[in-house]
Amino acid sequence: MNPRVILITGANGGLGQAIARSFLQESAENQIWLGVHARLEEAEKLAAGSPERCRTMALDVTQPDSWKATVAGILACHQRLDVLVNNAGCHKDALLATMALESWQKILALNLDGVFHGCQAVLPTMIGQRSGRIINIASLSALLAPAGQANYAAAKAGVVALTQSLAKEVARIGITVNAICPGYLDTGSPALDESERKKTLEKIPMRRFGRPVEVAAAVRFLACAEASYITGSTLKIDGGIF
Amino acid sequence: MNITPGLKTQIKHLMVENLMLQTAADEIADDLPLFGPGGLGLDSVDALQLVVALDKNYGLKISDPEAAKGILENVNTIAAAVQKHQSQPT
Repeated sequence: MNPRVILITGANGGLGQAIARSFLQESAENQIWLGVHARLEEAEKLAAGSPERCRTMALDVTQPDSWKATVAGILACHQRLDVLVNNAGCHKDALLATMALESWQKILALNLDGVFHGCQAVLPTMIGQRSGRIINIASLSALLAPAGQANYAAAKAGVVALTQSLAKEVARIGITVNAICPGYLDTGSPALDESERKKTLEKIPMRRFGRPVEVAAAVRFLACAEASYITGSTLKIDGGIF
Repeated sequence: MNITPGLKTQIKHLMVENLMLQTAADEIADDLPLFGPGGLGLDSVDALQLVVALDKNYGLKISDPEAAKGILENVNTIAAAVQKHQSQPT
């Protein structure tokens, strides 16, 4: 397998960590860059375990200049960039009638604008290489649009549409662009209380939460050589909910 | 402006390779429109690839869509822009 240069955003969270580990295990030659912003301790621990091929990079996905610096830093080291995983995201739920404008804008900026800026930052390099893989982590919320998540669901639905549109634009240049919609995952982030957990499990046909490694495996697959004919796809990983 | 001999040929080869054109480089006339009916038939994705290739090969950055329209009109206009860029002090 050819060594590849991979950038993962939101790499401090449970899913970002699982994706990074998956690529580290895939090939001893993969070079992994972990984009981190507010929190970085977990990413730094992971990078410390494989200092030769895993590094952290400060990256505010909402800022085009931050993307520019990140991509320039990676190109200075490797002269190429093969895979971008747009994984950074967060949600702040509220009913739309009472949702603060700031909350709407922040969630759109992080979850949707961040993907736009990321794609725009890596495309010149990938077009020049005539190869590249972009994997956007959307959410099942993009498809279900639950009450209380107008901001997050709209942003993630935007990510799915952006993915499909960009995939068409760059298909013949050898770049694939795909989205993944994870359902409920055990990521170690704020846990649901016992009754919420029970209610949620009742909605999942498999009666269990997804594991980050199960999503990471799909990301790794979409980035591999054998997935070269898959582009513009939206893969849901949700235990059968949708 | 006198264009350096060979530059236009180089640009035609760059276009054929990067855009995977089915036309041979020597079949592309210097003044053949690259876009639109009656021309080479390039589209916006080709334009994107061409902009990246010109940056990569000659350091010519075209960030303004209006400027792109003028520069990417035909091989003559591309060659003139490349030569102008190369003659500018760094």
